[in-house]
Amino acid sequence: MVWLSGGMFAIACLMIVSLLAYVLWQGLWTLWPRTYSIYGRKDGTLVGGELYAKASLEGQDTLYLRTGNYDVSNQHFAYVSSSELVEPSGWLAPDLWLVERKEWGNLYGFPKQLSWSQADPEDFVRVVQQGMRQTAKIDRELGQAKNELKRIDEQIADARLGIRRVELAEKIDLQKAAETGSLEGLSPSAQKAVSNLGLRNRQADETMVEINARIAGLEAQRSERTLVFELPILDPLGTIAADWTDLRAGRLRDPTALAELLGTAKDSSELSFNAEPMGDGGLSEPGVEDQRLVCKVSIAGEPARRLMIRRLEDGRSSVEAFREHSILLADIVRFFPTNRLGIFQRLGVYASRWWEFLSGDPREAGMEGGFFPAIWGTVVMTIVMSLAVMPFGVLAALYMREYAKSGWLLSVIRISINNLAGVPSIVYGVFGLSFFCYIVGGYIDGGPIKAGFEPWPSAVWFSALGGLAIVGLIAFAISIFSGHAQSRRSPLRTVLSWSGGFLWLFTLGLIVWLLVKSPHFHGFYEAQLPNPTFGKGCLLWAALTLSLLTLPVVIVATEEALSAVPNSLREGSYACGAGKWQTIHRIVLPYARPGIITGFILAMARGAGEVAPMMLVGAIPLATELPLDGEFPFLHGSRSFMHLGFQIYSLGFQSQNSEAAKPMVFTATLLLLSIVTVLNQTAIWLRASLRKRFQSSQF
Amino acid sequence: MNRLKAIADGQTFESVIHQEVLDRDPVVSIRDFSLFYNRKQALYNITMPVAKGMVTALVGPSGCGKSTLLRSVNRMNDLIESVRIEGDMVLNGESIFAPSVDVIALRKRMGMVFQKPNPFPMSIFENVVYPLRIDGERDKTILMQVCEQSLRGAALWEEVKDRLSESGLSLSGGQQQRLCIARAIASDPEVLLLDEPCSALDPIATGKIEDLIDRLRGEYSILIVTHNMQQASRISDHTAFMYLGRLVEMAETSTIFTRPRLSETEDYVTGRFG
Repeated sequence: MVWLSGGMFAIACLMIVSLLAYVLWQGLWTLWPRTYSIYGRKDGTLVGGELYAKASLEGQDTLYLRTGNYDVSNQHFAYVSSSELVEPSGWLAPDLWLVERKEWGNLYGFPKQLSWSQADPEDFVRVVQQGMRQTAKIDRELGQAKNELKRIDEQIADARLGIRRVELAEKIDLQKAAETGSLEGLSPSAQKAVSNLGLRNRQADETMVEINARIAGLEAQRSERTLVFELPILDPLGTIAADWTDLRAGRLRDPTALAELLGTAKDSSELSFNAEPMGDGGLSEPGVEDQRLVCKVSIAGEPARRLMIRRLEDGRSSVEAFREHSILLADIVRFFPTNRLGIFQRLGVYASRWWEFLSGDPREAGMEGGFFPAIWGTVVMTIVMSLAVMPFGVLAALYMREYAKSGWLLSVIRISINNLAGVPSIVYGVFGLSFFCYIVGGYIDGGPIKAGFEPWPSAVWFSALGGLAIVGLIAFAISIFSGHAQSRRSPLRTVLSWSGGFLWLFTLGLIVWLLVKSPHFHGFYEAQLPNPTFGKGCLLWAALTLSLLTLPVVIVATEEALSAVPNSLREGSYACGAGKWQTIHRIVLPYARPGIITGFILAMARGAGEVAPMMLVGAIPLATELPLDGEFPFLHGSRSFMHLGFQIYSLGFQSQNSEAAKPMVFTATLLLLSIVTVLNQTAIWLRASLRKRFQSSQF
Repeated sequence: MNRLKAIADGQTFESVIHQEVLDRDPVVSIRDFSLFYNRKQALYNITMPVAKGMVTALVGPSGCGKSTLLRSVNRMNDLIESVRIEGDMVLNGESIFAPSVDVIALRKRMGMVFQKPNPFPMSIFENVVYPLRIDGERDKTILMQVCEQSLRGAALWEEVKDRLSESGLSLSGGQQQRLCIARAIASDPEVLLLDEPCSALDPIATGKIEDLIDRLRGEYSILIVTHNMQQASRISDHTAFMYLGRLVEMAETSTIFTRPRLSETEDYVTGRFG
């Protein structure tokens, strides 16, 4: 038996450890800058890539390469079988750059020419870095200008909303007046709204011309500077007659033919030929049937061109050029000669990629760049959720443990709450969507009709309001009366207190029903309709849905913490003449605080990692605005937001190129895992340190 | 033994209370007091005085209702849902169980110390002034004055005066119990209820508590539950012997221990049963 149980224990440990190790390895490895190898295929083409994975099957290796250059090759990743390759190891070209771009992902290529500088290729790194600093300034100014434009748009939208409000309030059509700007026969508020729109439009016309001109100027500046790269993709030029021994020695028998193929130099004397064997992989090894040579051809007054010369069977040689590709300097995020980096430079790139990952905005639909909006969205949502769930959960548990009489009803409620903790989270998502988003949100947006209720006629509603007042008064009177009936346990008092409680519930229900059936409420955001404001998935509803989901956790933890308070402390407090509430808030709550906080943090950890309901009630793959920012009113409950867990799902399984996004998925998983772990660890540490304070010394 | 057998059989029984006890001025008078847990009766028609300025000990075998009787004096039994009482008690002329009595105000007039020391999870200072705190007292000088007075009264001042801000839980068991006594006397109670205050303490700490009770005699009226006969004989002026929820005999301590009127009392105090 000891072997069986021990074995099971070992298997359990192994599973947990391997899960953690796998996520850790994949997550940490993704952002590490790797080397880029260029392999020669047997059909004469080249394929280059960062080696991400290697699988061996029946003596054949399959390489999983990150090829990059998506805008030219239409792929981020490629599977290459080693049987296709001339040599299993590639060529680590020393002067190859990795360029991370704002669009189109990574570019791997040899820098050939800078449009704004005649610098030597050795100086390219310095010149490009300098250039990037200048374009960063342009980008900042561009961002400012676009922000100004956005503000003007918002002002006009506000003015239009003002007109719509007046239209709704006065039941008139202002469309014509708004177009012509004539104020004849309009009420003062309508006049104000129309003239406001006119004013805004005029202002916008004036300033927008200026801003647009500025933006055009900046855009022009931005696209002024370009870089030309030579990518490891071959374009055939033609064939020349060449002696292979000469070629390998760096000599060319017929320079004119080559010059003609290149179509650049008429005079062969201006052409200098420079053979460069392709590195340790030795794509030009003698004895290999398909011999190749990469060489640089310099033409006077022009930057050198990189060519691939391949020996053909008939003795001639084919010449292929590395494809040239030009990109904007302003599109570059980061670049480095990836094959030439030392370990410390690699660490530097690694750190800067992690920093971007944690603090930057996403690029390429989240496949590149940062996760900051997702982290921020998760954190803000979790905080709002905590603020919602905390008072509810703690007060409910307090009532159940300290005030309510124990009985079958309480047991049933307690069991239900425990069961609630086991309900699949998607159920909460469905509830949140249908109740919070559509009913409550619709009600806030457009009143009962929008929420799907038929309002009562005005007269019926007002008489119901009168009925509500009467019922409320009766309930109030009965509670007062039953509170004064002093004799313990008299049947009259029991009946009175039950009927009082029932009447209060009835009153509450009536209030809700009256709100739902009101013919006089048309929502707070009627003017924005049909665009929903709260009537869709958004931060507020996501937080409330999650707080519903974590409520059982908080209640159970708080109840446990309260029941762990020794009764002798309560008795001691009562014996001192303290009342119930004094005892609770001076003795019980401080003593139970560690347990309550623990439950709170566990709820936060559960909420932060929950994905299923988020998909329904407000998380989106790409949000342009943060849910909490510096703009009034700072916390935007009606905004959709990005969520880390949802991001993992949508990147890995919903994006157009989910294969390419997989590495990022692991990094995001690692991040989510660490956030949840940190939260849980905090809970454990907090509980331990607070408990120490309440530990009695032994005697 | 036949009287105890009669009690066990549920026959009515007349308590024996010596005249010397009745002659004293009572701080608490228990009058024909009965107590039920649901249907089970725990106390049977108990009538006894607690003399002012004296130490009255309740003794008896386990389960005889001494603690229940003590906890009824400050109505701690109200906290138990199923308890029902008959009869009454009087504290300095005012009824304890009348419907109009404010229980909270009543408890403030008494101090209580429990079997296990139960200092609150707060500083020594806050522990002592807790009864004042719940009355809303904020004046630092008054609080400090009461704290010192009570701690001196509980013979703890010299030991803790330099670490009043430390947690009450950092003290030793005996110190904790004296801290609880300091807390009980902080509001200057009319009667002090001690529920086996030494049962969780070692002999040295017990000795200190007994010395303390001896010092408090005269200043406070004390009702103490103990099942240690030596302790009762050492510290109490009056002793009441209870058995199965009934008061059997009550007299001056020396009388109970040397020449009780009932042979059953003698059997118990000399350790022949119980």
